[in-house]
Amino acid sequence: MSSIVEVRALTKRFDELVAVNDVSFSIEEGEVFGLLGPNGAGKTTTISMVSCLIEPTSGTIVVNGHDSAREPGALKAALGVVPQEIALYPTLTAAENLRFWGSMYGLRGDALKSAVADALELAGLADRAKERVEKYSGGMKRRINIAAGILHKPRVLLMDEPTVGIDPQSRNHILETVKDLNAAGMTVLYTSHYMEEVEYLCDRIAIMDHGVIIAEGTLNELRDVVGGMDVVAVKVAGVTSEVLERVRAIEGVEGVESVEDALEVLTRSSGSIMGRLVSTLESEGAHVTSVSVTEPNLESVFLHLTGKSLRD
Amino acid sequence: MRNLFTIAAKDTRIMVRDRAALLVMLAMPLGLIFILGSALGNVGEGDSLDAEVAIVNLDSGDTGERFVDGLTSAEEIDAVFNIHVRDDADKVRTEVERGDLTAALIIPKDLTDRITRGEPAPLEVLQDPGSAVIAGVWAAVVRAGVAQASAQIVAGHTLAEAFAAPLSAGPPSGADASNALPGASHGSPGETQELELDAVRVSELDVELEKEISMISFYAAAMSGMFLLFGGMFGAFSFVRERREQTLARMMSTPSSTAVIVGGKALGVMLIGVLQFLVLLAGTRLLFQVDWGSDVLAVVLVGFAEVLSAAGLAMALAALGKTERAIGGIAPAFIMLFAALGGAMIPAEQLPSWLLPVQVLSPVYWTVESFLELMRGGALADVLPNIGAVTAIGVVLLGFGVWRVRYE
Ligand SMILES: Nc1ncnc2c1ncn2[C@@H]1O[C@H](COP(=O)(O)OP(=O)(O)O)[C@@H](O)[C@H]1O
Ligand SMILES: [Mg+2]
Repeated sequence: MSSIVEVRALTKRFDELVAVNDVSFSIEEGEVFGLLGPNGAGKTTTISMVSCLIEPTSGTIVVNGHDSAREPGALKAALGVVPQEIALYPTLTAAENLRFWGSMYGLRGDALKSAVADALELAGLADRAKERVEKYSGGMKRRINIAAGILHKPRVLLMDEPTVGIDPQSRNHILETVKDLNAAGMTVLYTSHYMEEVEYLCDRIAIMDHGVIIAEGTLNELRDVVGGMDVVAVKVAGVTSEVLERVRAIEGVEGVESVEDALEVLTRSSGSIMGRLVSTLESEGAHVTSVSVTEPNLESVFLHLTGKSLRD
Repeated sequence: MRNLFTIAAKDTRIMVRDRAALLVMLAMPLGLIFILGSALGNVGEGDSLDAEVAIVNLDSGDTGERFVDGLTSAEEIDAVFNIHVRDDADKVRTEVERGDLTAALIIPKDLTDRITRGEPAPLEVLQDPGSAVIAGVWAAVVRAGVAQASAQIVAGHTLAEAFAAPLSAGPPSGADASNALPGASHGSPGETQELELDAVRVSELDVELEKEISMISFYAAAMSGMFLLFGGMFGAFSFVRERREQTLARMMSTPSSTAVIVGGKALGVMLIGVLQFLVLLAGTRLLFQVDWGSDVLAVVLVGFAEVLSAAGLAMALAALGKTERAIGGIAPAFIMLFAALGGAMIPAEQLPSWLLPVQVLSPVYWTVESFLELMRGGALADVLPNIGAVTAIGVVLLGFGVWRVRYE
């Protein structure tokens, strides 16, 4: 079966900066494909090229058999786009916004009406459809932002960080929505810098950093990249960048990341480094309150491949 | 293509909910029309006029002299006019053109000869169109004088009407000097009216003033011409807001072409402008009894053309300014400049003459001229060239905007 999305050797330069550098991936029909990377990795730029908003410097994009350079209209018709920003009209009601975006995809009359009703239902906001979007909470706006992208039941849905800056409840609602849409047959390209979301949702994942895809595969394939490694999580206060450097220098440490009041240390030999780790920290004046060893996750993969944290 | 209207309707809906915009586009013009129209409408009421006029007598015979004596000795005339008897006809002409003199009479050098030969003799009345009412009174005075003189010259002919025509200083019937607008008359500065001193009869020459326009009507025309352009500012706001908030990008990710999206935005500005214009028309009519003339179609077409300029201005501004703040800075300046050049603040005829060549670049100029012409009883044919000019300016602005505007 041929892929519904084919991206080959995609590159985008902004003057000196290469925002997307020779990126290739393909998405099979019915998949949820994740693009995971920190801020500035080039996710939005990639999505913008796939949705024909910006022109690639080089490379090809084919969606549903339509080449972006030759048939952008047909390509766009097959796509639903959920932009990273909440792209709605604040002084229009949710229903008015949805009616507008539905019309922009060519829906009219009864088809439009029922699509709007379905989308409001999906967003869980049918009872507040007549309120202006400006009155909504961030999470509710995000839900309408998504609803506006699926009115025309696209073959492929592009979602660019759809959960940024919202409460956990809305976030769960959105993740379940993506699962539901996918179960109903929609192919999804999902970008995020939250590895838990990507782990939870995606069949296949590409990890992106500095415009380059540094690893790609299923969750299990990616975990194999850090196969045999452990994550030593240290709860600790008073960590400075100097301390971090000292920890990084410890033999057997593959990567270190600092998350609020904790350090996550990637290593193949958790047993042997534990002592040195704690003594190094204590000697630098940091106070260790607990130490635990966990399974590696996508965060660890990213840490291993780039030496830095996804969350930076 | 249908999305053109989808976008325009969406923008109209958003605009109707924007209180600040409604204030600027509707309340402000109506308020200004009322304030300016009623404040300036009463100027000159009860005042002595003391208008400066000049007579140049070039006649080599004595008819001219007698005529001058007749005019300068009448008390009623003296009450209204300050008459200067001068020699240099060209200098007087320039002074009338500049507005230093309200009006003048030039008596030709062959006046006596012509009358002796029984030929008609033309008198030249110069009037500053910027002071149409007073100048019109002067013309009436001269005409009455001509009537009397004719009667004296052709003794034996009874010219009841000529005698009956009083050497009155009162305004000609139909013109209400107290509430009439200086400068509402159209025509070039220093316009010449020729009177014929007919040995047999006073020739009926068209020195009738055109239908006078009240101050409030003038400002209805002027402020409408100006404030319709503010639709362009709000249109530009809408464009940059969509660009910043990514709704523009979202529209461009739908299958609609860029042409449809930009066209829809421009159409939205026009749709909003048409609604604004209808409200201003109805408002000035109902609130201030403004008479926009009988050619409703022409009035509406002039409004449409101005609204097209507003759409052009919207795109041009969106191309020039990146943010609402930047556009909020340049747009009113542009519009005020257009309005000042276009005679929406000071009547166009009273602007210094060196400004005249740039005046034609202002859509407000053509629009206000057209409205005034229609108010004075003009018809579509009289304003078609103006409509063409406004449309052309709009198309140029639109072209510039579409060429230069950035979508991200
Ligand atoms: N229009 C642009 N002009 C110049 N640089 C840009 C532009 N858009 C994005 N960039 C740069 O490209 C890089 C990738 O950005 P982006 O695709 O937004 O990353 P992400 O979505 O993964 O956070 C960043 O360094 C960003 O500053
Ligand atoms: Mg992004």
